[in-house]
Amino acid sequence: MSSPTYLEMNNIDQMFGSYQALNNVSLNITEGEFVCFLGPSGCGKTSLLRIIAGLDMPTSGSILQVGKDITYAPIKQRDFGIVFQSYALFPNLTVSDNIAYGLSAKHATERMTANDRRARVTELLVTVGLSGSEEKYPAQLSGGQQQRVALARALATSPGLLLLDEPLSALDARVRAHLRQEIKQLQEKLGVTTIMVTHDQEEALTMADKIVVMNQGVIEQIGSPQEVYTKPNTPFVADFVGEMNFLSAKVSGAGEMASGGLTLNYSQASDLVIGDSAQLAIRPEDVRFHTENTQDNILNATVLHLEFLGSRMRSLLQLENHERPILADISMNEMSRLNFTQGQKITCQLPADRLHVFGGSV
Amino acid sequence: MSDSSLTPAVSIGSKKASKNPWYGRRSADEWSLGGILIIGVLGLLICVVMPIYTLLSKSVEDKDGHFIGLANFAKFIETPSLFSSISNSLFIALVSTLIVTSLSFLTAYAICRTRIPLKGLFRMVLVLPILAPSLLPAISLVYLFGNQGILKEVLMGESIYGPIGIIIGSCFWTFPHALMIMLTALANTDARLYESTEVLGASPMRTFFTVTLPAAKYGIISVAFVIFTLVITDFGVPKVIGGQFNVLATDIYKQVIGQQNFEMGATVSVILLLPAILTFITDRWLQRRQSALLTSKAVPWVAPIRKRIDSAFFVLLLLVSGVILGVIAMAVYASLVTFWPYNLSLSLKNYNFDLMDGGGWDSYFNSIELALYTAAIGTGFIFFQSYLVAKLAGFKLLKWFFHLFAILPLAVPGLVLGLAYIFFFNAPNNPLNGIYGTMIILVVCTISHFYTVCHLTATTALKQIDSEFESVSASLKVPQIVTFWRVSLPVCMPAVLDIASYLFVNAMTTVSAVVFLYSYNTSLASVAVLNMDDAGDIAPAAAMAVMIMLTCMVARLVHWILGNVVLKYTQDWRQR
Repeated sequence: MSSPTYLEMNNIDQMFGSYQALNNVSLNITEGEFVCFLGPSGCGKTSLLRIIAGLDMPTSGSILQVGKDITYAPIKQRDFGIVFQSYALFPNLTVSDNIAYGLSAKHATERMTANDRRARVTELLVTVGLSGSEEKYPAQLSGGQQQRVALARALATSPGLLLLDEPLSALDARVRAHLRQEIKQLQEKLGVTTIMVTHDQEEALTMADKIVVMNQGVIEQIGSPQEVYTKPNTPFVADFVGEMNFLSAKVSGAGEMASGGLTLNYSQASDLVIGDSAQLAIRPEDVRFHTENTQDNILNATVLHLEFLGSRMRSLLQLENHERPILADISMNEMSRLNFTQGQKITCQLPADRLHVFGGSV
Repeated sequence: MSDSSLTPAVSIGSKKASKNPWYGRRSADEWSLGGILIIGVLGLLICVVMPIYTLLSKSVEDKDGHFIGLANFAKFIETPSLFSSISNSLFIALVSTLIVTSLSFLTAYAICRTRIPLKGLFRMVLVLPILAPSLLPAISLVYLFGNQGILKEVLMGESIYGPIGIIIGSCFWTFPHALMIMLTALANTDARLYESTEVLGASPMRTFFTVTLPAAKYGIISVAFVIFTLVITDFGVPKVIGGQFNVLATDIYKQVIGQQNFEMGATVSVILLLPAILTFITDRWLQRRQSALLTSKAVPWVAPIRKRIDSAFFVLLLLVSGVILGVIAMAVYASLVTFWPYNLSLSLKNYNFDLMDGGGWDSYFNSIELALYTAAIGTGFIFFQSYLVAKLAGFKLLKWFFHLFAILPLAVPGLVLGLAYIFFFNAPNNPLNGIYGTMIILVVCTISHFYTVCHLTATTALKQIDSEFESVSASLKVPQIVTFWRVSLPVCMPAVLDIASYLFVNAMTTVSAVVFLYSYNTSLASVAVLNMDDAGDIAPAAAMAVMIMLTCMVARLVHWILGNVVLKYTQDWRQR
């Protein structure tokens, strides 16, 4: 990656009394990137966003925006637009006045004329797909429309950085999925560096160029959506992004682990030595039922429970010689062939190349 | 994960120690608003805290300013005529509290929880007494039950001058205060609770005692304390109709105005502070408890038709409204009668105030002036300061002090505040003593006296606004003051009007604090009522009280028009 670093955060700590909200967080964001801070509530993602915006101050560490130290700069001297979870639209101003709010006062030297402002508002409304709503008040708009107005207002002054604080969480599922795409497309079109805070892994996976998974004030992993999903660094990431079965195990040989009464092969490289305890993990959709032509990790199991999820069937399998049942997802196409029933004895495979290995036991 | 840009950028170079500069992260904008907040804190310090401190120290000093410990209090207790005031005051306050609390509960229940007709009209009539000075019912009672009263026989030989008169008068003017708290306490219901009790087979009586009453519990306790304090600290009613029956509030007045015994006045004031402080603490405590009672999921309860209960409550409301209207009508009538009881022809002779003692029409116009200044300056100052406390980033310690000082006036009876102002502002070494005897001190004192309710109203309204407005406008490089002007103020306009109207009405009707502070040039209408009554000119006193009431009605009408007509047109964004 050759693009220059746009935002640089170095060793950020934030303490509230004795509570550490952020612990030594360092992160670089490239210009034009769409970055998602992902994590459960209280993980520090919003704290980090507020520090970037200047709404809160870090206890120590520094932030550089295009090489300029902005760690303690007042909000006004920073270059960003922000959309809050509540949208914070001014209820007594029309859509067009809301969007033009920052245009009239930007800098005394480059004050825009009323005509320029009107043109800019019209342009922005076209961009967010709300043409013709200039004279409406926020209360007359739907949640999704309010969201777009908030976005247009944040983009009006053409900031170098766009901050989105859980922008979609107040919307219902259908609108959310639609806006997800739109925001992403808009961001790509404008090329504005964007940071979005979310607790919704699906949102992060579909929108982000880069996901920053956070937990308890610490960055657990930084990576592309594919990387975070397929190669989770830590059990937390594995568990938080997507679903994962965990089996505690002990290294029993080269590329071989004992878990319960089972011996499983794995192909992931690790620096564990024989006798080390570890965790093996596999995603439900990675469990296979075609056991012909393969030998690795073939296990007998009993179907404990089946749950219909629409596009797929979720099964709970009791592995033979193992006390811990695992979840396995079967596509409906496959299901029509396999035709499992509750209580049935079956064979399944935990493919060695799909097994994740995490050192130590949790 | 070999790509370097994807690994956490752990410690690039050394830890860049970026120092927090001395001016923090605040912009010039925030510093100037912070400066205004500092002025606000100093203002309250000078206008509320320091006068009260001076009063407290006076109560432990002798005439020459030497510290004498609790000698003044000992003297107070040893003087039988003074000490008996305590039991008199307690008796009056307790009986009035009992009457007003139960009556206001019943009437509020009738308005909130029954199906009776004309609720809006009843509601309007029931809060009328708040628009009149507390002296009006007392004067009216003199005409109804006094020596030449038209209903004198009803009392069967008992005199209205004394506890009976004080209690009736006190109940009259404190009733609206109680009713408003009760209405709030009973307004919110959760139908699901009533449905549950019905399904579980509880009798209506049991439902009342297990659902209705517990939900209103805090409201009832709050009313009891508020009424107790209002009655025990009021001096208008006992002054006019108390006769020889001394209470604490009239003692202060007599000690200070009659005997120029300021130290003893301060001592009685301190004693009078106690119930007020107790109420204050209870109220704060209740506020904290009350909040979580109702969830946002509550479904409002609609009263079923209960013929007998409804008609009983209808009769009750008719009775209470009748009494209120009767008392007011009596005062109006008395003010119009040429010479009671000998010449009952109607005339405006009693409105010729310039012929009486008490300041004449000038005092009426002084009152209007005071009320307008108080409403304009008070609303501006209070709302803007509350805005800064609620919405300015940082300045935590300053805000904490501000809030403390803003709540304090609630615990200080007007009479005590007025006396405190004498001590503080009339001290020769106080650089501000130039304002003593001017309109300025009256405005300052009235704003301070009624500060807390306005501050809380403003704060409540401001808290309902999205807390991110300021952050958004800062990110858009718009100065915070612009956002205050364009967004916060318009959105809070109804609350601003409420505050202005509250201040206006109270400035018109108040007697307690200003009675120590007016001068020959700044006599006030409410004080004129007192002085004319004192001089035996009861009919003109009634006339002036009526003038005050009419002015307050006009103010309320203006408030209503502004709120319901002007705001409707200019604030169409409120409609969906």
